[in-house]
Amino acid sequence: MSSTFSGLSRASSALAAQQRALDTTGQNIANVNTAGYSRQRAELQSVGGSIVPATYATGDGLGQGVTADTVTRIRDAFLEGRAQTEHAATASLTAADTTLAQIEDAFREPGTTGLQSQLDAMWASWSDVASNPTEPAARGAVLERTSTLVAGLNTTSATLDQQWAHDLDGLTTLVADVNASLTAIADLNQAISRTNAAGTPSNELADKRDVLVLALADQIGATASLNPDGTLAVRIGGATVVNGSSAMTLKVAGGSDPAAAATDPPRLVTAPGGTTVVPGGTASGLLTAMTTTIPEYKKKLDDIASQLAGQLNALHQQGYDLDGNPGGPVFDGGAGSTTVNADGTTTVDLSKVTAATIRLAVTSVDQLAAATLSPAAAGGAPAKNDGGMADAIHQLRLGTEGSDASYRKMIVGLGVQAASAASKLAAQSVISAQVDSSRESVSGVSIDEEMTNMLQFQHGYQAAGRLVTAIDEMLDQLINRTGRVGL
Amino acid sequence: MRITQRAIVTTSLQGLYGNLAAVNKLQQQLTSGTTISRPSDSPTGTNSAMYTRQDMAGVAQQSRNITDGIAVLSSTDSALADILDQVQLARSLTVQALNTGAMNDQSSQAIATQIAGLRESVLGQANQVVQGRPLFGGVAAGSMAYDAGGAYVGIGGANGIAVQPVTRRVTDVETIRVDITGPEAFGDPASGKDLFSVLGNIVADVSDPTALSGHLADLDAVINTMLTARADVGTRAARMDTAETVNAGRELTLTAQLSATQDIDLPKTIMELNMQQTGYQAALQATAQVIQPTLLDFLR
Repeated sequence: MSSTFSGLSRASSALAAQQRALDTTGQNIANVNTAGYSRQRAELQSVGGSIVPATYATGDGLGQGVTADTVTRIRDAFLEGRAQTEHAATASLTAADTTLAQIEDAFREPGTTGLQSQLDAMWASWSDVASNPTEPAARGAVLERTSTLVAGLNTTSATLDQQWAHDLDGLTTLVADVNASLTAIADLNQAISRTNAAGTPSNELADKRDVLVLALADQIGATASLNPDGTLAVRIGGATVVNGSSAMTLKVAGGSDPAAAATDPPRLVTAPGGTTVVPGGTASGLLTAMTTTIPEYKKKLDDIASQLAGQLNALHQQGYDLDGNPGGPVFDGGAGSTTVNADGTTTVDLSKVTAATIRLAVTSVDQLAAATLSPAAAGGAPAKNDGGMADAIHQLRLGTEGSDASYRKMIVGLGVQAASAASKLAAQSVISAQVDSSRESVSGVSIDEEMTNMLQFQHGYQAAGRLVTAIDEMLDQLINRTGRVGL
Repeated sequence: MRITQRAIVTTSLQGLYGNLAAVNKLQQQLTSGTTISRPSDSPTGTNSAMYTRQDMAGVAQQSRNITDGIAVLSSTDSALADILDQVQLARSLTVQALNTGAMNDQSSQAIATQIAGLRESVLGQANQVVQGRPLFGGVAAGSMAYDAGGAYVGIGGANGIAVQPVTRRVTDVETIRVDITGPEAFGDPASGKDLFSVLGNIVADVSDPTALSGHLADLDAVINTMLTARADVGTRAARMDTAETVNAGRELTLTAQLSATQDIDLPKTIMELNMQQTGYQAALQATAQVIQPTLLDFLR
């Protein structure tokens, strides 16, 4: 025989549990559009009867109602882990794709403003000199167009340097952001472990922490694993950077300009300790751009500049100018790149001629060596109307080992690389989007579902209320109407 | 799979982005008129576009060279024609001077003066300058092929200096010579029997029939040389004309080639844009309809 009032306590537990569940539904609806929010569920559990038989115990074998103590966050740890990996891969590919697109922009090919058309214009002007060797206008055009080409090479090289500097800036900012996030995660870890110790729910804090971890995955390829005490350990490339409530700081080390970076490449290190960390995500994309992609294209452009200078100088120095003097170098690499030999000729150190340093060494139109015939061979007077060398120089553009061919090869290589980066990114974006949508389908709030839950809990509450009324009427029967026979 | 409103929004956005990117790409192609605006759009297309542009620059330059070459050759030709006319006149005067019976001292002297005048005139024409270059002076600087005395001062073809041809590049692999040096046109001065020496000799020996008939033979030899030179120049002018036709044809071919490589197919691109836009609008409408209703709309 159970206690008279046990029904009431059962009904009140039902009222409380339904209300808690309804509150949880309310929280879910409130956060339907909150980024990173995982839907929550009140875990309803029936309360069993007393299971310890005592001498005078009077259990009726029925349970003691319902409890809704725990509210759990619904999320799939496996999907979260995948999301971190895929986000990191997407971010890294995005950075690679952007880098190559910027390099493409720097070269402005194919078109009428790129280096190719500047080269074409320069070669054409030599043919004009070959046709009219004494015409100052034709000779002037060679100088003008060669300066334009030199400026084009200088500018392109400077643009690549600028891009490098922007990437370094970006990485430094990113690392500052990452450091802030690491500290925030450590703080949240501490808060969560305290809350857990106190036995209160920490779902919202955990959500906040997950958002930070996913952002870190994007930025630097961080992965996280859950410790038994509810704290998260965050790793970057195998190095643990957050453990419990302590966080490490990262910083960018290495040369701060492209020249210094050739010997001391930029990298990420832990701030106390200086251990190199191998990042993923955007940081890895930026580091690859700074250590591989941009230097590679700068080197190719430098080689082209040096090749152009070497080939053109070699021919030009075999020719004779308007005054009958042997031609000097057309290009040099700035001060210190030339040596004057004992016989009066000038040698240019081609290793010092780069796209950044290349310079037009001829200052006057008369110094352009268009003639093949030396004054000695022409009987003493300069053969001013001989344009043989100018034509030979004009023909340099056709060389299979010439600067034009190398430049074209470089641009085609760039195109292939950029196209493949773009298609890799497209494929990776699809994967990433699918994982995000899977995560969303597990953790996201469905309004339809919440509505049905709301109806369900509301009805549960109403029914529990009705139970109280029923018990009330039952007691009324017992207390007010019993034993009144004959009154 | 559990589908939530946010999942729908995310997937729809993904699709809409894709659609809009395609519209953007087509619009970019339409406004720029080219399918290749960066190397990654088509690496092979970029290669052939750059190749073709380089060839086009070469062809444009060669077309300029050809026009220039034709001008030089026709000046040479007309100069040679004028000189030949005057030399023929000098020859008939010489023949006249050989008619010993009909000649007295005065008429001989008159012929001598006339031939001397013709020599001056021919010398003047042999010193013609076109584009800053004496027509018959080889690669010499200045404005003279022959000095006032009729000695060759040009470079090439005489004085032990080989002829240094003045050429115009007409294709990537071919050049055509556009000049003819004085010695080639009027005889080698070293032999003492070039045009100006022979005319000088005629003037000097006008009343010596024996010497004069020798000079007449020399003059005929010079005239033959000049005729050969003129024929040579004519042949080269014909080659230039052929080169001009070939060059013009090549220019058209290259333009067509570049256009085929990188220009958009206008009707096709417009059709594609329309289709893509229709697709985009449909996607927008569908998204709007799917996202809107929830169970809320049906509960009181």
